[in-house]
Amino acid sequence: MVCHQGRGIQMCTGVRLRAHTSSHIKGFDSCPWSTRGKGTQRICLIILNQPLNKDYLHILWRKALLRACADGAANHLYSSTAGDRDSFLPDYISGDFDSITAEVKAFYGDKGCKLIETADQDLTDFTKCLVIMVGEIQRRQLQVDAIVTLGGLAGRFDQTMASVETLHHALSMTPLPLLILQGSSLVHLLRPGSHRLEVNTGLEGSWCSLIPVGGACQTTTTGLKWNLSNQVLQFGKLVSTSNTYEPVGPGHPRKPVTVTTDQPLIWSMGICEDGQ
Amino acid sequence: MEEELTPLDCLLPSALLRACADGAANHLYSSTAGDRDSFLPDYISGDFDSITAEVKAFYGDKGCKLIETADQDLTDFTKCLVIMVGEIQRRQLQVDAIVTLGGLAGRFDQTMASVETLHHALSMTPLPLLILQGSSLVHLLRPGSHRLEVNTGLEGSWCSLIPVGGACQTTTTGLKWNLSNQVLQFGKLVSTSNTYEPVGPGHPRKPVTVTTDQPLIWSMGICEDGQ
Repeated sequence: MVCHQGRGIQMCTGVRLRAHTSSHIKGFDSCPWSTRGKGTQRICLIILNQPLNKDYLHILWRKALLRACADGAANHLYSSTAGDRDSFLPDYISGDFDSITAEVKAFYGDKGCKLIETADQDLTDFTKCLVIMVGEIQRRQLQVDAIVTLGGLAGRFDQTMASVETLHHALSMTPLPLLILQGSSLVHLLRPGSHRLEVNTGLEGSWCSLIPVGGACQTTTTGLKWNLSNQVLQFGKLVSTSNTYEPVGPGHPRKPVTVTTDQPLIWSMGICEDGQ
Repeated sequence: MEEELTPLDCLLPSALLRACADGAANHLYSSTAGDRDSFLPDYISGDFDSITAEVKAFYGDKGCKLIETADQDLTDFTKCLVIMVGEIQRRQLQVDAIVTLGGLAGRFDQTMASVETLHHALSMTPLPLLILQGSSLVHLLRPGSHRLEVNTGLEGSWCSLIPVGGACQTTTTGLKWNLSNQVLQFGKLVSTSNTYEPVGPGHPRKPVTVTTDQPLIWSMGICEDGQ
């Protein structure tokens, strides 16, 4: 994986995010992201109940300070790590436990993984898992750059939208960036304010997008092939999909993408697949 | 005035017009091997950057219209829909709904682009536009009142109301968790993993009614075999 020296946060997939939020974040210190260089990514990992990409799992697991499964995600972890399960023991498995099998639950319980039953029916397993993760990060006073989630973007349409809703809730739960990865897509919700996204790790796919899920966003960008200049993104009027990065000369690094928005705005981008 | 719709009725009758958006023709071609002549679309539209030369030649030779739509500001889906609406009008067809297969899986931005096409469709045609893929159906409800018949036996157990475009003041009946003039909005309240109001054994499900002041996504599960 290619890393770049300098300010910003190295994300597990190589996408570096640095938010210059101009709006006040209630209750948190300003500018929670500190300088990170090569090989010092610090993430926490949440795995959701979806088929697991083994490559992502191995990379993210290794980097993560904390690792959790939301309910049936443990079934996928169990089957994906056959032959080496002891190297992939989550810190906790949370949920209402209506998806995890008895066998898998017993296996991880016997290995000392915490099993945290969260019966609240008004929140999804993802949101509840995130609540615990945020609490655990605080309790252990961990220095973390981002919380990364595997899964949540495929399968039932309402569950994909529920994942997006969790991104919205996360804005008031933690100042940490929350990223969702599945397949060749990454989804991240930008807070109101200004953001600089480093997209030059070599792991980026060709497409990117800005999607105003939840309402209109007054938006300005640089670094995209089709930039926005104080324009309103809104479903029914203008949504930026199948966008891409500003072309640069051969051998030149991509410029960072900057996005300024007055409302929470989804940034979604492609992750390079092998050979591309 | 209330709009009535039976979302899964579309899985029963036959289509009056059939079209492929660009690379969809590749999938049609491979899925219908052995009986391709029974599955010839009326037209294939798009910028033709996905359809293979072989597939394009096959359908062209069979008399399917090939309509190149170069506009880069609109997706292949939207452009295909524009043509479909025009063709329905031109032929003066009596149509109840336009059904789309695909558009909800793969790249996240393309799924969202499908939802954007649903929004554009509101001003393009009065016909309901439905998207089906896997076990999900997605439909955008116009502002106003709607009655959804959900008793075909093809419905899965889940349903949802998702305010993708912005806040919706919403009232419902017929759901397990109904809304009573409440605001659905991302960050506040989104109705996912909802289900239908329970009824006694042997009794038909009640229709779901939804009243909304803004366009609101209705998404529901399609029953899979054996369920």
